Amino acid sequence: MISRRDRPGIIVVTLVAATILTLLYLPPWLDALRPYWVALVLIYWALETQDMISLGWAFIIGLLLDLLTGSLLGLHALSLVIIIYLVTHFRSRLRFFPPWQQALSLFALLLNDRIILLWIISLRGDPLPSLSFWLPPIVGTVLWPWLFLLLDRVRISSHHRGAS
Amino acid sequence: MISGNPGAGTKFFGSAAQTARLMLYGLLAVVLMAMDQRGHYVPRIRSMAEYLVEPVYHAMEWPVRATRNLFGQFQSRRSLRHENEDLRERLLAQQGALQRLDTVLEENRRLRALIEGAEGQTFEFQFAELVRVDLDPFSHKVMVDRGAEDGVEIGQAVIDGSGVMGQVEDVHPHFSEIRLISDPNHALPVQINRTGLRTVAFGTGETGVLLLPSVPRQADVREGDLVVTSGLGNRFPGGYPVAVVSSVDRGEGLTFVKVEATPLAALDRGREVLLIRSSDEPLPDGEMADEQAAEDGGETTAAQTDAPAAEQAPAAEDNADSGPEAATEDASTESTEDAGSGATAGDEP
Repeated sequence: MISRRDRPGIIVVTLVAATILTLLYLPPWLDALRPYWVALVLIYWALETQDMISLGWAFIIGLLLDLLTGSLLGLHALSLVIIIYLVTHFRSRLRFFPPWQQALSLFALLLNDRIILLWIISLRGDPLPSLSFWLPPIVGTVLWPWLFLLLDRVRISSHHRGAS
Repeated sequence: MISGNPGAGTKFFGSAAQTARLMLYGLLAVVLMAMDQRGHYVPRIRSMAEYLVEPVYHAMEWPVRATRNLFGQFQSRRSLRHENEDLRERLLAQQGALQRLDTVLEENRRLRALIEGAEGQTFEFQFAELVRVDLDPFSHKVMVDRGAEDGVEIGQAVIDGSGVMGQVEDVHPHFSEIRLISDPNHALPVQINRTGLRTVAFGTGETGVLLLPSVPRQADVREGDLVVTSGLGNRFPGGYPVAVVSSVDRGEGLTFVKVEATPLAALDRGREVLLIRSSDEPLPDGEMADEQAAEDGGETTAAQTDAPAAEQAPAAEDNADSGPEAATEDASTESTEDAGSGATAGDEP
């Protein structure tokens, strides 16, 4: 299978790109639209490779993201672990969904993640966020097919480079 | 592995192990969050781990700097001259305003000497720029490009050109994180500039709104009143503008007036900030009290946050520097409290 030839290097590169997109300074109105880049990229790799993305890696990447974004330590770790668990659990089904159905299940995943975040926010006793809180899952779903194609291309070109 | 009988057992076993792992990591994450929130051990580990991720901020900051330098190179002489003239005019205007300040300052010093009061604290300002990095939108933090190596300390007050922004919460070698006053867990001791009424301003989670929950019903508060720092708690120096009162709700059946204020500082679009450091040593007791005030949140804490402020005054009296000064502060605090809540009646001698 193709997945044999996947090297961790390309996964790291795409994750670093996702992290930069997460931290990139945007004007406030655009900031509210920012999708959960790291989760999207991790979901792609969890779908396309057999077991490169374990729960342990999701946890560690989540912790790094917590440190970088200055959020509560463990917040992103928890959310990524849950996402990756669900993706690997339904992997065989998700992979053979037509794109629109895949995007739809991705929307459910991201929405679930937001609900967990909402739960944590309310546990901390912070006031509930405004309606724009629910925008990132929508943006993520809309971007998903394009991101999928882009990452596919990146991955295949990395295979070629690996072969030559 | 995907189909067939022999694989079914291992698949089931594999998914059970995966679920167990999910539980383990989930539990670990929740414990970490709880410890981070409560401040047990984790913050210390965290600030060490942040050394590891600091290069990422450098990497993010570099292209921004580079493009700015590039633009700076190509800025035309004419626009520079314009800017120069503009700045010179503004400097002159502000020098004019400052001339009077000198006299007032001298007068203030004489009057203080007359009542044998403490010398007013002097402050040093340190310029810093916001790092163009977007942190978690729910954390209400920004990052500036001065850190421990530039002498930044945890707890320093941060202002911008128009008002108070927040306080330094975490210091890295070259960066530090600033907790904004809009954070729902942030409380700032303030007073209404017009009447001198002391209260506490809480963040609401929105950058445009601060809440002053402990203003008594009969208090004189109007829309457009300037809210300044009161200097109680010894963390924020007194007299810096914080916000302008935007709405006053004297609804029926409320014990306190619901006062909302709009912060003056550009919390979500600022660029340059000043870090304030008082030249003499702040009182440790005061800091503790402020810490507590900053950590308490919600409506119920009005009395709690007032109480430590009152408690801290006797500690201030012990300090050789501030005798009568602290006492008058104390008295005026208690009198406003008297007029106000009455919730702190237990603290009265």
